[in-house]
Amino acid sequence: MKTLIGQELYKLAHRKGTWVGLGVVVLFQIAWALVVAKAAELMSVPDSMIGNYGGNSLLIFVMIASTAGIISSEFQYGTIKQLLYRQYYRSQVFVSKVCALLIQALVLKAVAIVVGFGMTLVTPALNAKVDLMGTYEKQPFMNAYWLAQAGNLLTMLLILSFVLLVSTILKTNAAAIAAGFIGYLVAYVASVTLLAAIAQWHWVKWNPLTFMLTETQILSPSYAKATLLSTPQMLTGSVVYTLLFGVLAYLSFRRRSV
Amino acid sequence: MKEEVGTTAILTVQDLNKSFGGHQVLHGVDFALGEGHVVGLVGPNGAGKSTIMKAVLGLIPTDGGTITIGDKPVSITSHQALKDVGALIEYPGIYPFLTGRQHLELYAARHHRAQNITSIVEALGMTKYINVSAKSYSLGMKQKLGIAQALVDHPKLVILDEPMNGLDPQAVKDLRDIIRKRAADGTSFLISSHILSELEKVADDVLVLNHGHIVQESSMAALADAGGAVYRIATADDEAAVAALAVADVTVSRTPAGLILRETGPDVLNTALAALVGRSIQIRSIEHVHRDLETSFLDMVAGDGKEASHK
Repeated sequence: MKTLIGQELYKLAHRKGTWVGLGVVVLFQIAWALVVAKAAELMSVPDSMIGNYGGNSLLIFVMIASTAGIISSEFQYGTIKQLLYRQYYRSQVFVSKVCALLIQALVLKAVAIVVGFGMTLVTPALNAKVDLMGTYEKQPFMNAYWLAQAGNLLTMLLILSFVLLVSTILKTNAAAIAAGFIGYLVAYVASVTLLAAIAQWHWVKWNPLTFMLTETQILSPSYAKATLLSTPQMLTGSVVYTLLFGVLAYLSFRRRSV
Repeated sequence: MKEEVGTTAILTVQDLNKSFGGHQVLHGVDFALGEGHVVGLVGPNGAGKSTIMKAVLGLIPTDGGTITIGDKPVSITSHQALKDVGALIEYPGIYPFLTGRQHLELYAARHHRAQNITSIVEALGMTKYINVSAKSYSLGMKQKLGIAQALVDHPKLVILDEPMNGLDPQAVKDLRDIIRKRAADGTSFLISSHILSELEKVADDVLVLNHGHIVQESSMAALADAGGAVYRIATADDEAAVAALAVADVTVSRTPAGLILRETGPDVLNTALAALVGRSIQIRSIEHVHRDLETSFLDMVAGDGKEASHK
């Protein structure tokens, strides 16, 4: 398994897109931080810091693109047979790809955190408005910060498992990218509509899009009144849907003919 | 070509069946491949060659039968036996973001990695472009890279599907030399190819596949002679000779170079000669015509097709 994960990371490391994605996230964070530093009235600095100056949202888009391609590109390049005729099982090949994606996501997350902290610490205008030892939403700032990162990771894993499923069912990564982007945007842009639907028909709360709001509810527990789900329910549901999509993606991958 | 006395079968396929939808493409295929042997798998398009290779590599589920490599079973869920197998199936897969060398580094075993890579790169004449991005490779360069990937770790069994596709004459010769050298060292090869003249030069044995059946398994020489020997007879009067042979119930075809006689039975040549001598027709020469693999193969497949159509 170690060998397989190493091979997947080798491929990721040699893809230009991996580094372009990382560069875009970092540049976006720096630009966002500089804009907020100059015009704090546009957005609260603590809110921006919690979201790593837009890095948390953008890295989800980068990971959607990476996830969409990790299996479908093997079919597109005709390399899937070389990958599967070896002594490894399909399950091992699949798990190695998932592990490589998790490592990439964690690296991106770590970079986003480092850049977020770095910009706050080296930019006086930001440093002056973020009190790392202070409070945020009635809890210690650093507590809220790490909760937000954990929630962001959970949301990302949920949407990536769905993207992986779509990419194994359909043969093109474009469809998987589109599904991921649309799913992510719908969860946020149309969250008002979603919450209205939940208020009207309570059973709607169990749909997977609701659990994409876990990140928000972790920071603002009062969101439970709108989602009609407690925070532990949101966390559990998020993990369950991630595992369900992941298992379905594996079953779909196992059935794919080569 | 069943397992020979004194050799060990590295690959054994028994009663292999496979259907796609309602269409059965393999019908009880049986064969064995001994250590150090090079076996050619030939057959028309759609005969089931790639399907056999994919089944041997555990890439597709089968509908019955067993495949073993070195006493270990192979199936879509049993891949342990594939540890010492290298393969190129249908066409080489290329990652456009890797160079040729990086492709080899990606899947090559760590043990002697650099040495193995250098060795196969030199043997296949890829040194000039091995560090260039593979997306700029021509068909032949990609093909060589696919072959290099199959051979780099010195596997015990190598499966090559149409390996000569896109290769220039020098590359074909290089590949032939590599295969013969590796076979002498004990590596076994299962190779399919449409270029039968090339296969004839490299393979010890041949499996002829048609409509999903193995219709012939023999040595290369035996296949070339299948259907009987062919003679070219030059006479002083071909027209009279044809008439004399017709009376003797011997069929020949007339060509500008002489009469072509196919030895379809043990006494055909004697009967023909007796008929010509009996009619006092002067025989200028008799020549044994070498039949190539391609002719034998086409005759065999055509014959099998006719039988199939009569069924």
